[in-house]
Amino acid sequence: MLSFFITRIAQAIVVVFAMSVIVFVGVYAIGNPIDVMIDPGATQEIRQKLIEQYGLDQPLIQQYWTFLSNVAHGDLGTSMVYNISVVDLVFSRFPATLELVLVSVCIATCVGIPAGLWAGYRPNSIGAKLIMALSVLGFSVPTFWIGMLLIMGFAVELGLLPSGGRGDVGSLLGLPTSLATLDGWSHVILPAINLSLFKMGLMIRLTRAGMVEAMGTDYVKFARAQGLPDRQIVFQHILRNISIPIVTVFGLELGSTLAFAVVTESVFNWPGVGKLIIDSILQLDRPVMVSYLIMVVILFVLINLVVDLVYARLDPRVRLKGGA
Amino acid sequence: MKRLTLKSAVAALALMAAAPTAMAADLVVGLRAGPDSIDPHWSTVGSQVEALRHVFDTLIDVDEKLQLKPGLAASWTAIDDTTWEFKMREGVTFHDGTPFTAEDAKFSIERIPEVTGPMPMTLYTKYVDSVEVVDDYTLHVKTKGMAPSLPNDFTRLFVVPSETGMEARNEEFNSGEKAIGTGPYTFVSWQPKGDLVLKRNDDYWGGATAWENVIRREIPEDASRVAALRSGEVDLINYVPASDYLAMKNDGGIDTFLSDSVYILNIAPSVKDEEPQPITINGEPVDGNPLQDLRVRKALDLAINRQVLVDVVLEGLGTPANQLMPEGFFGYSDELGEREYDIEKAKALLAEAGYPNGFEIDFTCTNNRVPGDSVVCEALAQMWSRLGLTVNAQALNGTVFFPAAAREEYTMTMSAWGTLTGEAAYTYGALTHTKDAEKGFGNFNRSGYSNPEFDRVFGEGAQTLDPEARKKLYEQASFIAMEDRALIPTVILQTVWAADAGKLDMTARVDQETRTYAITPTQ
Repeated sequence: MLSFFITRIAQAIVVVFAMSVIVFVGVYAIGNPIDVMIDPGATQEIRQKLIEQYGLDQPLIQQYWTFLSNVAHGDLGTSMVYNISVVDLVFSRFPATLELVLVSVCIATCVGIPAGLWAGYRPNSIGAKLIMALSVLGFSVPTFWIGMLLIMGFAVELGLLPSGGRGDVGSLLGLPTSLATLDGWSHVILPAINLSLFKMGLMIRLTRAGMVEAMGTDYVKFARAQGLPDRQIVFQHILRNISIPIVTVFGLELGSTLAFAVVTESVFNWPGVGKLIIDSILQLDRPVMVSYLIMVVILFVLINLVVDLVYARLDPRVRLKGGA
Repeated sequence: MKRLTLKSAVAALALMAAAPTAMAADLVVGLRAGPDSIDPHWSTVGSQVEALRHVFDTLIDVDEKLQLKPGLAASWTAIDDTTWEFKMREGVTFHDGTPFTAEDAKFSIERIPEVTGPMPMTLYTKYVDSVEVVDDYTLHVKTKGMAPSLPNDFTRLFVVPSETGMEARNEEFNSGEKAIGTGPYTFVSWQPKGDLVLKRNDDYWGGATAWENVIRREIPEDASRVAALRSGEVDLINYVPASDYLAMKNDGGIDTFLSDSVYILNIAPSVKDEEPQPITINGEPVDGNPLQDLRVRKALDLAINRQVLVDVVLEGLGTPANQLMPEGFFGYSDELGEREYDIEKAKALLAEAGYPNGFEIDFTCTNNRVPGDSVVCEALAQMWSRLGLTVNAQALNGTVFFPAAAREEYTMTMSAWGTLTGEAAYTYGALTHTKDAEKGFGNFNRSGYSNPEFDRVFGEGAQTLDPEARKKLYEQASFIAMEDRALIPTVILQTVWAADAGKLDMTARVDQETRTYAITPTQ
């Protein structure tokens, strides 16, 4: 167990390091952020002074070294646009994304897995076919368009729910979250549904595939022969056996949604991190781009670690060994 | 300057008279962009300046057509070649009750170089040599050389109390602790990319405004902003997309407001001896740079059908342009006629220049800088193909376009330029003057255009303090650059605001600012 953690942490450090090099070189190749930001009226002298002030005249290696040594001192940099430390900036917006993603993942799981189980349990029923058809829609129709439809329907035409924004923010266990207020829930529900559709489709298909396969296996036949009720077979035996691919995909999806829920956040004007990173890229806000992407890598490493731990819990055959 | 003062006093009185009749009401505005910081000396970005005008005042203000009017400075005069005298408005107090004096103005000018960021406000203080407080209400600014445009530079010079302290940090402004100005609203709260919440300043020197509480909400996505208005979540939105404009105009539930903007889409043909991307005929590079020939540039100009660009490509939201600034700006030339569209004449000119069968040329534009830039780009390529040219049009994201344009890697480009100061020195000095780092001219002259005659006339204007004489010289300079096709202007973009019908009255501004305090409820 201990060697497993040590190997994982070593791997994580290598990945983060490699990522920082890739991002840094990539961002450097785009060009000088001052040329994107500067006001047209600025003189050459002002421009030159700024370039020096931000160390942009230094060679790439030198800039990268400065960045690394700052990181070593716990300083991930300051946004060139907002003049706020990148860590503060990201974490001022992260709770919003987190709550949105959690609600959407809950919706996707609570609807997707039961629907998938049913579709695999009775693959030829009308209900199963309907579920499969809807799941195709879920991940083939663009989120942007569904988002606009939801807004048009529920906010503009019916006037039931707000068209965007985060609503009143309350406090839950000391964390600022809109899930603590009714107004907050009314704001979160539409974007969460929008964000969950793709994942829901994925969950349904994965669960169904596993279910269909499992229904024909020997252990299910034996269980049936033993006279166990179907309910017990499905929830206690099959679900557990088909969980591994579901958990894997769940983990990956959770990570990518947390990091890049951009489309939904833009359509619903949700003040999350996805929008922040896109704006930073458009404005070439270098410190935010570099540090954020590195934080995302760390997030993925953490999620994968948790996924591995869950594997071991689900399937006793999986051993957590070094190099796993 | 007396007349100006009187005018503003009358305006202030009119506002005060109007205020009591307007019932206390709240206004929620959906905006495409908001501030990046509450420190008014951090950045020159338009959305930042627009937002902070609500909390802070500038020394000099601008009207809807960007012409100067008094702000915290009641009047200003040049007392010799290198000294401007500013008379401060008396009886103005900051939100915390301390009176405003010339000392605060001096402090603000001196604070800018200490704290400004990568979009530097030093731009507005670059001519300032030293600042001297003569008495509480008189300020003398000594300039580096003659600086006739200093009052224009000061239209974005926000004043903070001298007690703020040079070292005041960005976080202290964002939290509201230091967000103390003299403006029409007091600061309540703000989050980056979130809502800017404001409360009316009842003691405002210009008269209290109509709205008691104002929320300026940032909704960058066009479709979402429109949905927010339609669902009643906000009362007013800016930058209505062209695709929604017609539907809104015909919708009885929505009022629209329209104005020309300062932004004009200009084509910049490189006239360097060797063009950056080769111009070819049948794949073979052409000898010399065809764009150096005025006849070729004129042919390109004549082949543009500006009316089609406006009516079809921009769906009506534009005006044909014949120079780099809209009408009414300081230095706008009345001598220049409307640009004609004549494809036959264009073909003849091209043949005369030695290219009867045209050539192949790269054409690069921005695609997200202003509404319509990428579609106009494509339309221009098609118009030139009728002239017999093969145009490889490419519309790029600004993040890629601007650094490469600064490295002068493109043969012909199109991008938007806004005359944000309302006068010619800003635009022609940066775009068409010969590149001259020492004088600070030609910083954005990426085409290599250089005309000694233009430089002479423009340079003379920059050294003339008398506004009338300077205006004449700038008009002449505009004329020379435009006749030379140094840059080819195409269309002036228009901006649209939309509001709930019957809710409010507003005058649409050429600088695209949404000044909440200038909006009045419909009676």
